[in-house]
Amino acid sequence: MLKLARKRRQNEIGFGANTAINILFLAICVMCIAPVLLVLSISLSDEASIRANGYQFIPSAFSGEAYRYLLTAGDAIWRAYGVSILVTVVGTLLSLMVITLYAYPLSRSSFKYRYHFSFFAFFTMIFGGGLVPWYIVYTQLIPIKNTLWIMIVPYLMNTWYMMIMRTFYKTTVPESIIESARIDGAGEFRTFFVIVLPLCKAGLATVGLFCTLAYWNDFYLPMVFVNNSKNYNIQYLMYQTLIAVQNLLNASNAISNASQILANLPSESVRMAIAVISIGPIVLAYPFFQKYFVKGLTIGAVKG
Amino acid sequence: MRSMKRFLCLALVLVFAFTLALSGCGEKATPAADPTTKKTDAPAPKAEDKPAESAVPAETVELTMTLVGNKQETDTDLVMEKINEYLADKINIKLNLQVFGWGDPYEQKVNTMLSSGEPFDVCFTANWAANYYKNAAAGYFTELNDLLAKYPAIYEIAGKDFVDGSALDGINYAVPTHKETVHNWGYLLQKAVVDQYGIDISTLKKMEDLEPWFDKIKADGKITPLLVVGGDSPFQFLDWDRVSDDNVPGALYSDNRDNTIVNHFLAPESVDMYKKLRDYYQKGYIASDAATMENTAEQMKTAKYFAVESSLKPGKDAEMTGSTGVEWVQIDITQPVMSNRETTGAMLAIPAASKNAERAFQFIEILYTDDVVRNLLNFGIEGTHYNVNADGRITQTQEGLDRYNMGPGWRYGDQFKDLLLDNEDPNKWADFGKYNDAGLVLNSLGFVYNDSDVSTESSACKTVTGTYNRQLQCGAVDVDPILKKYEDELKASGVDTLIADMQTQYDAWRAKVGK
Repeated sequence: MLKLARKRRQNEIGFGANTAINILFLAICVMCIAPVLLVLSISLSDEASIRANGYQFIPSAFSGEAYRYLLTAGDAIWRAYGVSILVTVVGTLLSLMVITLYAYPLSRSSFKYRYHFSFFAFFTMIFGGGLVPWYIVYTQLIPIKNTLWIMIVPYLMNTWYMMIMRTFYKTTVPESIIESARIDGAGEFRTFFVIVLPLCKAGLATVGLFCTLAYWNDFYLPMVFVNNSKNYNIQYLMYQTLIAVQNLLNASNAISNASQILANLPSESVRMAIAVISIGPIVLAYPFFQKYFVKGLTIGAVKG
Repeated sequence: MRSMKRFLCLALVLVFAFTLALSGCGEKATPAADPTTKKTDAPAPKAEDKPAESAVPAETVELTMTLVGNKQETDTDLVMEKINEYLADKINIKLNLQVFGWGDPYEQKVNTMLSSGEPFDVCFTANWAANYYKNAAAGYFTELNDLLAKYPAIYEIAGKDFVDGSALDGINYAVPTHKETVHNWGYLLQKAVVDQYGIDISTLKKMEDLEPWFDKIKADGKITPLLVVGGDSPFQFLDWDRVSDDNVPGALYSDNRDNTIVNHFLAPESVDMYKKLRDYYQKGYIASDAATMENTAEQMKTAKYFAVESSLKPGKDAEMTGSTGVEWVQIDITQPVMSNRETTGAMLAIPAASKNAERAFQFIEILYTDDVVRNLLNFGIEGTHYNVNADGRITQTQEGLDRYNMGPGWRYGDQFKDLLLDNEDPNKWADFGKYNDAGLVLNSLGFVYNDSDVSTESSACKTVTGTYNRQLQCGAVDVDPILKKYEDELKASGVDTLIADMQTQYDAWRAKVGK
């Protein structure tokens, strides 16, 4: 009674609403976490028990066989893992560089051609050339097909992230700071690297996380451009196996011996184990970014 | 004013975001600018007109070959080296083999390579891979008629009937693998159960012959008599000679009785089959969760079933025994027939962009004539990846399989030249020959249906059949009440227009080829 009688602070949420909101978000959390737990549990299940009992949250028979297989026979998997990490790190750094450098002039009102360059970027966002011309560009004009670069270059510039970054500069860095830097004798580069960028750490983290995710999760570029299996990344390797299973299941009447081929593909628990290890680094990256992430999102969105 | 501006900004941003999402989808949904129209006068790529050289060509050319498979194997380079060494004084090529995964990975890569005109030389294609019909009609494959005439070995080995069965309006765009050229359907029975009950499998000729045994096995209650998963259902015993995809209504009877296309999902024979399966289901021959099961092979590994429907060929039981770890024996239910399923089931084509079409064709010919090359490609290097046993059959070592596991040899050339695995019947290839000779050549062999005029009806029908077939073909639902609904929904989806269109095209095709 006493609690209810207490005078509410401004904007405080009522008890009922608070409970409802908590339950809602709890439910959403469960929905997100449950599949991950299921995948983890399948990867630790005994293959025969999966066949007999289907998927279970608590495996009826534990087995580390899948991980043992990955450690010993999975040359290709570890290689792909390395490719993924390399591409993600290099890609994110380069991409951040391109995006921040492109966005900065556009945020400065003293830059005369900013509208032209904005339009230039927006235009590509709305109109694309289509798959085949895109393919020809990367195979003939810039022949980087089959190299690691092909998984980095196409995602270097992202207009959407560039817009977020530009908004960031505009809202967090007042023109007066830049002006005072100039008065103190700093050149454009010095202003940018010493004054502007440190103020925009939250923005860098936000865009950086977006880029990291985009690079880490990509399987489309290797699917179209990479023919050399040494340069496959982990996501594509996983995709290839999963799609193969799906495809052979559907086409068992069209492809003779489909069931025989199926029997030779990695078992269910191995596929799930690959999924588990592919979550690894990105899960570790989250806490690192999170500090800036929330701040970054709110600033970027509200004061647009 | 300020809020107005803000609103405009937000709207603009939303529009951008939306178009971004849309363009993202669009890019992936349309694999390539495939012209869907079938033209016979498509820009015909010409084979290189070089004079026939009897001697070994002086310059080495690099041939790139794309195959569908599990993945690029670790030891591919090692095997390619051996093949190139062997071929150096024959056709002097440097083979570069690229294997892409089953399904989307292969489709995406190869279709893009074809439509962007990227030069490569040998391409696996089929009615289910790399879109053979569309890509051939669009002119992405080289016409092979002249080359087939110049190098007659393929015709001699695989038979002219069979090779030309894959031609489109008389033009060969690809050559089919010489393997089983016919198909039939039957049951695989678990050997342990057959022995336990003392079943004489030579007495099992029709579906009904198995029913007493189903009864006994059901009564004992240890295992389920019949495994039905998705399309793997005794429904296949009707062996409809379907005109379009698996789930599209429209088929001919597979005994050449007439040339009338019927809606085979609602034909009297099919309805009888649904009723029989319903009866099986109610008697408990079929597992009650059959409608939701996936992956036949996985289920077969459990050894919890007595019988499963399967497409057959000689030695299928040994193959399945090897891959499932459970012993099977096979019994035939239907007669072998030669249909479009086989002729376009696995083929090699030469992309129009190839710079060395003739040399590529010579290499394809070698896949039909030279068992050394074939076995290198199939199984790797003797001693490294497999060992030869005293009886001439081979054993693949686990270590070898980890590094080079190419998978099935039915993707290229003449499969009859392959070495046999230690679990295969020594007479496999002789039996294959007999089996192929016994096949009935269907009237529709070589007919390709093009649904571009009625694609709406076709896909609408596919949606409907997708819903009903799965339930009907495993007996999970009462037949009569659902059949009426099924018929009405198909009618509403335009099944009559679709079948009329099929008939028109089929009649026109028959008039043209004189069948």
